[in-house]
Amino acid sequence: MSREALVSLVNISKTYGRVYALEDINLEFFAGEIVSLVGDNGAGKSTLTKIISGTEKPDDGGEISLQGEKVSKWSSAKARSWGIETVFQNRALSEQQTIYDNVFLGREITNRFGFVNRKQEIEETEALMRKIGYTSKVWTPLSSVDKLSGGERQGVAIARAILFDSRMVVLDEPTSAMALSETAEVLEFIKGLKESGKSVVFISHNPWDAYAVADRFVILERGKIAIDCPKGDLTVDDFIALLHRFAKKDAKK
Amino acid sequence: MKATTPKILLPERYRAVVGASFFFCIMLLLFTLRSPGVFLDIGIYSAIFLSLPLFMILGLSLVFCVVAGEIDLSFPSIVTLTGFTFAWTLENTGNNFLIAAPCSLLVGVLCGLLNAFLVVKLGLSSLITTLGMNFALVGLTQILNQGQIRTFEELNDTIIRTVLVGSTGPVPNQMLWALVLAVILGLVFHRHKFGLHVRICGDNPEAGRAMGVNIEATKTICFVFVGVASSIVAIQGVYLNSTYFSTVGDGFLLPVLAAIFIGGTPVTGGRGTIGGMVIGAATVAFIQTGVVASGLDGFWTSFGFGLAVVLSLFGHRKFSGRLTR
Repeated sequence: MSREALVSLVNISKTYGRVYALEDINLEFFAGEIVSLVGDNGAGKSTLTKIISGTEKPDDGGEISLQGEKVSKWSSAKARSWGIETVFQNRALSEQQTIYDNVFLGREITNRFGFVNRKQEIEETEALMRKIGYTSKVWTPLSSVDKLSGGERQGVAIARAILFDSRMVVLDEPTSAMALSETAEVLEFIKGLKESGKSVVFISHNPWDAYAVADRFVILERGKIAIDCPKGDLTVDDFIALLHRFAKKDAKK
Repeated sequence: MKATTPKILLPERYRAVVGASFFFCIMLLLFTLRSPGVFLDIGIYSAIFLSLPLFMILGLSLVFCVVAGEIDLSFPSIVTLTGFTFAWTLENTGNNFLIAAPCSLLVGVLCGLLNAFLVVKLGLSSLITTLGMNFALVGLTQILNQGQIRTFEELNDTIIRTVLVGSTGPVPNQMLWALVLAVILGLVFHRHKFGLHVRICGDNPEAGRAMGVNIEATKTICFVFVGVASSIVAIQGVYLNSTYFSTVGDGFLLPVLAAIFIGGTPVTGGRGTIGGMVIGAATVAFIQTGVVASGLDGFWTSFGFGLAVVLSLFGHRKFSGRLTR
């Protein structure tokens, strides 16, 4: 019996003016699977991330299905309410606001009149920060994000993505601002997401990181899928050689 | 051994209010030292409480706009136009407040929606667009009003006038209304999710969009707030003076902007304070009335505004270290 995809992308294209950022993308993402999405700069990774997370709309003709049901008017609010959480490359944090404001942004805990339950949000943020090993004595949930280092900000962005009961987590370059020890923690955390049954899309420029956690590779090249294969089909050397080959092809073009 | 000076750790969210209050107290002290007879008498405060609510109500709405990363410079002309709408409707409905007030509020809402359409939908600069709208709406009002001064002496003894602009003891009722509004908007700004979304609009709208915040709708509501507040001020103005004239909005622009910035709301958006704005408005109202009351020439008023804005920046930098840009 074939598994049902959590999220399916069918004929997804995205153009900016005359430039194709993505062209006829067909992809399926399954529960309990980590997909490493890789490719050179300009390959379309971030555009694809934005489409999955609902912050960009695909061109007409493309379809997004959630557990087999086609959705219309795709938006970030719809994506989040269905259970797709994203850690964006730019982290999508509001720097002048507090950590707990950022964690609950768009999903504030409110009473029926829309007033925020600060106490509960602060407590839950504190618990969450402890859970992911974010145990700074200097910063509290009431600290503003602009006081944090790059790695700490990434911690807030990741905390936000796992707080809610998500079905799919998309991480766009989550380790880019991190030290080696922090990177190892994030990779372990990604494996933990898989074990809890979530679908994970991991985007990275680092082929070793991408290989280490993946169950499946999707290599994008100039907006198209060049490779979509299970991890077992490629050794780490094959994988890195492939990435080099595509990078050289891009450079020649 | 080195002696250490303990630092006062003030929570960040209160720093702007404390900075503005500090500056206000110094100013009040200077006025009192110069003219103790005037500033230790309740009469001066009753006089100040006549104009302060108008600055407060306009400033309260404008804080939302500024924090959302926009500005609305058309509010003086919206006061003029909504005041005209109110006065004209009163004249033509036998002074029916229940028809005239909603009409005025509706025009305020429409002005806000028009500004939002131009700025949020079409992406025009709010500074330039609303400056243009300020001229356009004043011009439109003058065309409609044809220079008439509309008097409403018959409103003087009405219950509505007493409720809106009468007095409770020595305190004018409009001051009480303004304080009620300040408390409500303060709660909305600091405790309601709408207030957070307003801050996100001015801080990082892309982050807001990514998290499902409707940035466009939030900014639109901010512009509508300004339209509604302008209408409330216009209605109070007509009742207060029993007269409508088409220069009613003149003189609000710079003092209200000064009140916001003195209060500790930076022009860069993303953060602000309702409490600070109230103190900023009080500072402006005290300068306006206090300069003359303390025996100085009225020409010192503008100088006082300028000095207050610049000095308050130093105060905010001392307390929050942020308002240098």
